[in-house]
Amino acid sequence: MDEPTLPIPISYIAGSYFLFSIDAVTYVRREHHICGVLSGTLPQIPQQNVFLGLPLKLMPEEARLLVEKGVACIVDEVKVQKDGMRSLMEEDRKKYLRELESQGQHAMRLQTDRKEQQREKALKKIEEKKAKARKAEQPPVADGPSEGSVVDLFANDQGSETSRRSSTVAAPYGTAMGVTPATSYPPLPYESSAEQRLALPEVPSSYPMFAHLHSEGYFLSPGLRFGCQYLAYPGDPLRFHSHFLGVSAEWDEEFDLMKIVAGGRLGTGVKKGFLIGGAEKTEGDAGDPSSVRTFSIEWGGM
Amino acid sequence: MTTTMPPPPAQSQPQSNAPTAHPLEPSALTTLLSTTAPSTPLSASTIQILHNLQHQHLWTSLRVHDLHLPSPNPNPDSTTPNDPLYLISGIPPHHVYTHPDEQLFMLERGLRDEDVELDRMFVLPTVEGQSWSLRKMAGVFDSLPGGDDETSREVEGEKADKLREYYEYREKARVTREWGGKRMLLAMVDRQMGGDGTVVYYVVHDGAVKPRQN
Repeated sequence: MDEPTLPIPISYIAGSYFLFSIDAVTYVRREHHICGVLSGTLPQIPQQNVFLGLPLKLMPEEARLLVEKGVACIVDEVKVQKDGMRSLMEEDRKKYLRELESQGQHAMRLQTDRKEQQREKALKKIEEKKAKARKAEQPPVADGPSEGSVVDLFANDQGSETSRRSSTVAAPYGTAMGVTPATSYPPLPYESSAEQRLALPEVPSSYPMFAHLHSEGYFLSPGLRFGCQYLAYPGDPLRFHSHFLGVSAEWDEEFDLMKIVAGGRLGTGVKKGFLIGGAEKTEGDAGDPSSVRTFSIEWGGM
Repeated sequence: MTTTMPPPPAQSQPQSNAPTAHPLEPSALTTLLSTTAPSTPLSASTIQILHNLQHQHLWTSLRVHDLHLPSPNPNPDSTTPNDPLYLISGIPPHHVYTHPDEQLFMLERGLRDEDVELDRMFVLPTVEGQSWSLRKMAGVFDSLPGGDDETSREVEGEKADKLREYYEYREKARVTREWGGKRMLLAMVDRQMGGDGTVVYYVVHDGAVKPRQN
């Protein structure tokens, strides 16, 4: 598996944080429990949004956590693109295009090869079937070698004809598939300069709780679907159901107790716990971000 | 078990306040509320919840504790004094909460719910519409006792060994918080206009405790 070079650039585009490299996406998920949300659709058919692909959109909390861990850095993608394009020489451009074309040709070749193999396999199967059918027919017809040979010839003939035809189809090595790379490096540099980097992402006040749950090993994802702020999974969301519906509050924020009852009921209804928490403010200091208290609530069943 | 909660219980046990005979017979609850000594809104709802626990859920040896939380210092603009809170404690007729891992542990040893001794449980009485904060919640949990020591338990019968093993492990789990940290019941009574007097109970844990498989 490819390990991306650290720090991974997180692209900041129009107020959102994106990862465009599949290596980076799998790496942060595997090593840092950051899942994000896939957001790419087909450009022409954006309404097909059941299965989405790259880029991966990160919550500001996720982006911040990665930056604070030193795993990633935020780059102003617009600036990177503009600077990169400006410094790109004509020679580089041509070389890059040539490279893309050869990649496309390679992809085309692989595809046609595979098609060829599949076709041959299918033909072999048909021939075997025919041979079997012939064998089954032969015993009752005592002396039918002429007929058999005719069938055999015919089958052979057909097979060779198709394979000949297919080999002519497989020939067009000149045409290449269009390749759309997900990332803009190699032509642009991978590492960003200091002026292209941005400060830590602005995060909502729920960040301490997010970081706290994350540090306890939970995978967190946006919780709108379950009516909360974060869903906390005990492992990868592809393998586990979530344990908690997380909601954050300020230490002295006054809230109606109905919130706890409603959350507790909602959580129990979907076999989860309702979790409310926030950064603890003790009398002395002005709020140590590392001390977060959480409370989980379940219906009492009485 | 004795609770060491400052100050000592302010109210006598309500069951000792036998409702006196009344010509117009108000409800038992009304009688209880009007005959019980200091009457602040919260103490009245506390007694209502205690009444509910005693008669609907059949809890025993119920007690009311006064709870004085440290006043929230960054609140100079509020002129209202820090209202005292109450806690109810009692012994439920059956286990109200069993941690999923604890349940598994018991199942593996053939222990049943009834085999394990019932513990005193704390109930925080609240009223619908009451405002609350994380600081208050943390204060209530911090004032809860850490749990009684398991060594004094006497176990006998054929499952004694298993039970002893269970209590031993539970003691350890309490330290590591493997089976959850402190917990209490949050009771909320609907006393606003048009309320029907329903009391709902929710289990609240200190910390992230995985949900039961309901």
